[in-house]
Amino acid sequence: MGVKWFLRMLACIPLLAASTAWSAEVHGRSSTQFLWFTNVFTDKEQAELAQYLNLSISQVDQAGKLTLHGYGRISQNLGGGEGLNGRLYYLYADYRGLLDKVDLKLGRQFVNYAAGTALIDGGQIDLRKVGPVAFSVMGGRNVVFSLDGESTHEGDYAYGVAAYLDGVKDTDLELSWFRKTDEGDLARDVLGASFKQYLFNNFKLYANSRYDISSEVFNEVLAGVKYFPMGNLVLTGEWYQSYPTFDTTSIYSVFAVDRYQEAVFKADYIISSMIALNGGVSFQEYGEGADAKVYDIGTRITPLPQLSLALNYDRRHGYGGSLHGGIAEVSYDPTKALSLAGGVHYDVIKRDAMTGKDYARRYWLGGKYRLNERMTLALRVEDNVNLNYEEDWQGRMVFNYDF
Amino acid sequence: MKRLFFILTVLGCALLVLQQRSYAEKVAHKDFYSMKFEDCNACHKGQGISPNHDADWVRGHRMAASRSNSKCQECHQQSWCLDCHQGGGSGERLEISNFGRDYKPKSHRSDFRVLHPLKAKDNPQSCLRCHDRKYCTECHARFPRREIQFESHRRQFSSIQLQATGPTHQVFNEAQCPTCHPGGLVPTHRWSGEHAREARRNLQACQTCHEDGDACMKCHSARSGLKVSPHPRNWGSIKDKLRSRSDGRSCIKCHNNF
Repeated sequence: MGVKWFLRMLACIPLLAASTAWSAEVHGRSSTQFLWFTNVFTDKEQAELAQYLNLSISQVDQAGKLTLHGYGRISQNLGGGEGLNGRLYYLYADYRGLLDKVDLKLGRQFVNYAAGTALIDGGQIDLRKVGPVAFSVMGGRNVVFSLDGESTHEGDYAYGVAAYLDGVKDTDLELSWFRKTDEGDLARDVLGASFKQYLFNNFKLYANSRYDISSEVFNEVLAGVKYFPMGNLVLTGEWYQSYPTFDTTSIYSVFAVDRYQEAVFKADYIISSMIALNGGVSFQEYGEGADAKVYDIGTRITPLPQLSLALNYDRRHGYGGSLHGGIAEVSYDPTKALSLAGGVHYDVIKRDAMTGKDYARRYWLGGKYRLNERMTLALRVEDNVNLNYEEDWQGRMVFNYDF
Repeated sequence: MKRLFFILTVLGCALLVLQQRSYAEKVAHKDFYSMKFEDCNACHKGQGISPNHDADWVRGHRMAASRSNSKCQECHQQSWCLDCHQGGGSGERLEISNFGRDYKPKSHRSDFRVLHPLKAKDNPQSCLRCHDRKYCTECHARFPRREIQFESHRRQFSSIQLQATGPTHQVFNEAQCPTCHPGGLVPTHRWSGEHAREARRNLQACQTCHEDGDACMKCHSARSGLKVSPHPRNWGSIKDKLRSRSDGRSCIKCHNNF
């Protein structure tokens, strides 16, 4: 389905461009990629050729209000097997300022409300500049990508409405409703709210919640505060809780569940242009006496403008087991055209009291060369070492052309 | 519930009245697209706006993005979102890795297949922001069951050898157990206690393998087995809603009359 969609839409694009050739500006990127990796399902090595196309066509109309956006990929397994594959991420027309108050988006697009998020084949209409409150309505076929294509069924739709503050200086507030159908039956019905308020030049209060109307529980509630006494220091404190909820069409929607809660504290400090530090702790509570703690720390060091080092480490222990590990990465630009980078990921995992320790390591190297203003060549190679593989090489070679 | 909505409505109205005084068009960010984050934050701080795109941005960005009037689109195309959320990528960012043909976000470090059972426990909802539940079941369905290692599911004697030398119990399948152990795999009380707690804490994990809940219904169906009710405490108030919305698709799996 995805491949057919993509090819059909791709075929239409030159027509659009041709019909509006007097003024239209076409910009975007073509990315041609050769990828090689181990297929985890067959345990066999696989090589694929992929072609991405990301483009925007603006100035389609004389007022410059209409823009077309498209993004998708097709890939071909060179050894046969999975054959041709594709994903159309989006393809929509964006018309801004109809009667100076209405914004329209029509086509495949990503929609985001506090109550829910979806990739839809449909439309979104925003009504603005009618006072401090703006309105939005969206709906369409709910697109779900599976491992090798699309798993959307007939009767899978997503739609919703939102009202939000528009143009209010220090406050954001959105109230929204999101509904999803599963083969024609009403699978999800969610009310969402999102709130943000700046105070005293140093504080940001924020909250977010989703209420599942079918199960009559708050699926998610988040409340947090950020304190930023200086422009280079941010302290964050958050409380979050969730109840897992399921589509009403799933048998799991009728089961009892426990509440998950977590308290998060974070600090982010940019000491100078050469060094930045961050750290945090998360206290997690899973119900019925199960809990866990996660600590994390990181730094970014830039001793020279062309040299950067990033280190991150986190440690988790508690319910389910323990995990500690991190990432060390370095990037270096010897010339304006050439970038080199490499890194190590290292993790030790112990699932629970009854299992032994396992590990996962990754080593990677990459380089990128700008051939000219429009063309870039990039190569990335990595080796994975873990309980599944003593060595597992994979990588990609990429040629990007910007237009 | 009604009280909550009333309070929210009153708060919303109060905010509107208060903020009407400071009504002002917000700053468009398109003009600052190429600016360094340090410079953005210097300006933000001067206007009492918190610095963003900080080290915690990957975890925290959903608050800024999950609003219909978010500012993300002033600098980012939707591809910026979907490259992480739906596996696309132009390959230019060298630190970004692939899972097969799909690109994956940096939060999925090392071989994430090894880490994800524990990482998924850190806020189980976070997985669902990018992955549909079908993604989990589609992947798990292709792996052998013995690789799933929940405490309640594990045969705790699997590493015990039959004799001082020789094979371990791992070589036997479930059907062979009663041959030597007519009493069953593990004591019944342990199974029921462990699995119930694990399921309540992380029911999403059950669904990743038992997509249709067939394993659950062996004991929880109203038609057969132990007929243990799995419903939550507020079942009385929600059951009619669930039945009518799903057209009884869930109910009919366990009940003749609903």
